[in-house]
Order: sequence, then structure tokens, then C-alpha cells
Amino acid sequence: MTRKSLDQTLGFLRSLDRTASSGDVASLLMAELADLGVSHVMAGTVPVPGTPVRHHRNHVLINTFPMEWGKRYLSRGYAFHDPTVQRLGTGSSPFSWLDLKEGPLTTTSRRIMDEAADFRLSDGLTIPLQTLDGEIAGFSVSGDRLGIDPLDRGMLQLVATYAFGHLILLAGQGVAAPVRLAPREREALQWAAEGKTDWEIGEVMGISTHGVDFHLRSARAKLGTTNRTQAVAMALRRGLII
Amino acid sequence: MIHIITAANAHQYSDTMEQVWRLRHDVFVVEKGWTDLARADFREIDQFDTQHAIHFLAMEGDRVVGYSRLLPTTRPHLLSDVMPQLCEGDLPRGPDTWEWTRQAVARSHRARGKAVNPVSIALLTGIVEWGLASGVRRLVLQMPTLYLLHVVQLHFRAQPLGLPQPISGEDILAATAEFDGRTLARLRGVRGDTASVLAPSTVRYLAA
Repeated sequence: MTRKSLDQTLGFLRSLDRTASSGDVASLLMAELADLGVSHVMAGTVPVPGTPVRHHRNHVLINTFPMEWGKRYLSRGYAFHDPTVQRLGTGSSPFSWLDLKEGPLTTTSRRIMDEAADFRLSDGLTIPLQTLDGEIAGFSVSGDRLGIDPLDRGMLQLVATYAFGHLILLAGQGVAAPVRLAPREREALQWAAEGKTDWEIGEVMGISTHGVDFHLRSARAKLGTTNRTQAVAMALRRGLII
Repeated sequence: MIHIITAANAHQYSDTMEQVWRLRHDVFVVEKGWTDLARADFREIDQFDTQHAIHFLAMEGDRVVGYSRLLPTTRPHLLSDVMPQLCEGDLPRGPDTWEWTRQAVARSHRARGKAVNPVSIALLTGIVEWGLASGVRRLVLQMPTLYLLHVVQLHFRAQPLGLPQPISGEDILAATAEFDGRTLARLRGVRGDTASVLAPSTVRYLAA
């Protein structure tokens, strides 16, 4: 049982490395978690009190919840009253929304959960996270027929953590200036991706090994990578080489 | 500055190591309540503090403000002997793989607001600097699952060894964390300082 869950988690990690956008991550998550009855995911950091409502959307890393619900949630600043968000800072164990509804809730909190139910978001599970900067964060899954066994929670915790880490990385790349490789840099990197040595690349490009090293070095610097393998991986991910 | 202490230079640090045993007792026995480790003399020393352990000390002047221990996975260590249930497959072992344990920061040096305080980042930077210079490329960690995101955000390539298990009230995860030059660059970025964290005396010793 757990061995299967761990293998599934490791398989997910390998697939995650090949995703290049939050949309890719969302599709992968939906495919991975479908057998748990998950039909929506949402993840983000919690705005600190006082953050203007118009900035709340910047805290969302991924959101496949119904669009109408998302709009209402952001425009009304529900993040400050949502009981799943309020619960985040208080512990590190995943919690179920149904369990939360059993406990004491303010009128506003209860209304938000009832409104969510109108969008068929009545049951869900939230995994508390905390970023390196100390920001409180969360990763929620929801679905009409959610069937998450307590034994699945550990796997879900790992999947959520890795997906979140990857989404932060992608968000960081998004704001960075787009990388433009010179034709020779692109060509050298393309050959490197084919597994060719500097000498072989020099032969096909008709330049010296020294020249190849120069172009690859320059490509590495532009991509912000430290070695050849990483530069190839990054260039593939960004679609700069094929 | 981070000082690295091994069997080879321990004689120069005997007073300092007394501070280490007490810091460990304060943090792990008194604060975290790991009563199995309690000792009448308030020096927390266990069966793994042998000549094979490597001690990383964060020091301010003569004072130890933070600590980490690395154990070779080619010998008995915590994952192999104390918490094997955290690892579902084969134990990760080898000369390039060391287990990181007993991470501790003096209470006076824990920053508020940040999830990971600067002393911990400095210790980890020291470990990665040492690893890159010594042919070590991955760490074995046992940690609360909540810390996994920090490891990932610090550009370690972390692989879980099992699913999280409850151990004394916390969900604990065992994982390997591979590192390279990118990890060091990231740690230095977080520190806001590109200089080595290792004390010059330590560097001379490592070079010898």
C-alpha cells in the first residue's frame, strides 16, 4: 500500500520536472489525483492582514476552481474570512473541510463554506505549507466525490509540497526577462543536447573547441545555469532548443 | 563563521565542544523534550558522536550559536539504526552521501518572521561548501514534512525515501537532498553574501 503510494509520488516528481507552466502543473495534478476524486486544485500564499483585496490574486499560484467562484472569492476578499485559510497558520497536518464545518465557525466563515457548496465545492482537503520567507501557504484539493483515505494524506502532502515548490520556481522564471540565445549559442546547445562533445560540436559547426566552449559558456550564463546538463534541460523547458 | 571539527582537529576545540554538547542538550532535551537523550551532566552526546562524525559549528567570537552534525552513511547512522521505518526501499549509502542531524540554533539567534533563520542558512552553506570540496553530493535528512518545501526552494534536489510517519507528535519525512553549484549559488543569494562562510582556519585544515 504505502510502497505503491511512494512509487506514485516519485513518478509524479519525474513528470513535474517536465512541466513548463502552471497550466502544465494543473493538468498533471488533475491526472495524478483523479482516482482520489479530486476535480479542482488551488494553491497560494496567504496575504498578510491589510493587503488590499486587489492584490490578492498575486498570491494565487494555481487555481482550477470554477471561474465564477474564483472571481467572487477574490473580489470580495474571502481569503481573510475563509476558515480553511484561517486554519493554515495553526498546524502542519492536512485537514478536511467537512471536519472544519463540524467545528465552531463565524457567520461569515460559514456563509463562505455554504457558498462554496453551491459551486459543488463542499468537500475538500487542505495541506498547510510555509515558504522559505516564512509566508503561510496552503494547497487545497476539492471534488464532488472526494475519496481521500487517511493513508493517502502523506502522499498528498508530498505531491502538494513539490507542486508548490515547482510553481514558485515557474513564477520566478515568469517575471525574469525572456532569454534570447544567439544562433551559434543555440546551435551549440542543440548539439550538446544530442550528447556531442565539445570537439564533435566544433567539427560540425566548423569552429574550434575553444569557440564551442565560448558559445556554451555564454548560453549557460544567459540561462542562469551552472553546467551543461542544466543548460540543456532549461533550454528544452523553455523551448529554445528541440 | 562556520568551523568544521573532525577527529583531526578536535584537540584544538575541546572547550568549544563542551559548548556544543550543552547547546544540544538545551535544544533537544530541554526544548524539544527528547527525554531519551537526557544526561545528568547536561551534555547531549550519543553513540554516533565518534571519530567519524563531522561537526559544523556556527560561531560568533568564542560562542557557539548554531550546530549541525554530519554522519557517514557507510557506518551506522540514525536512518540505518534508529529510524529505519522512514525508509521504504534500500538505504541511501555511499562515500558521497552523508546524514545531516542535530540541527540546532541557540534560542538567542532565532530570527522572527523568517521560516529559516540566518544561522541555519549559514550552517547549510558551510555543509554544501564542504561537500562540494570533498566529493560529497547528497545529504540524508529526517525532518518535519513542513521543511521539505524549504529544501526544494533552496534548490536541493530532494527525493522522499518513504511517506511521512508520525514520530513524537510530528509528521517526519526521510529524504535525500542532492546539491551542486546551483544550490550553493542559491544559498549565497538567500544569505545576500557570496563569500565563503567557512572560517579561514577550517579552510587551511581542509586544504592540508
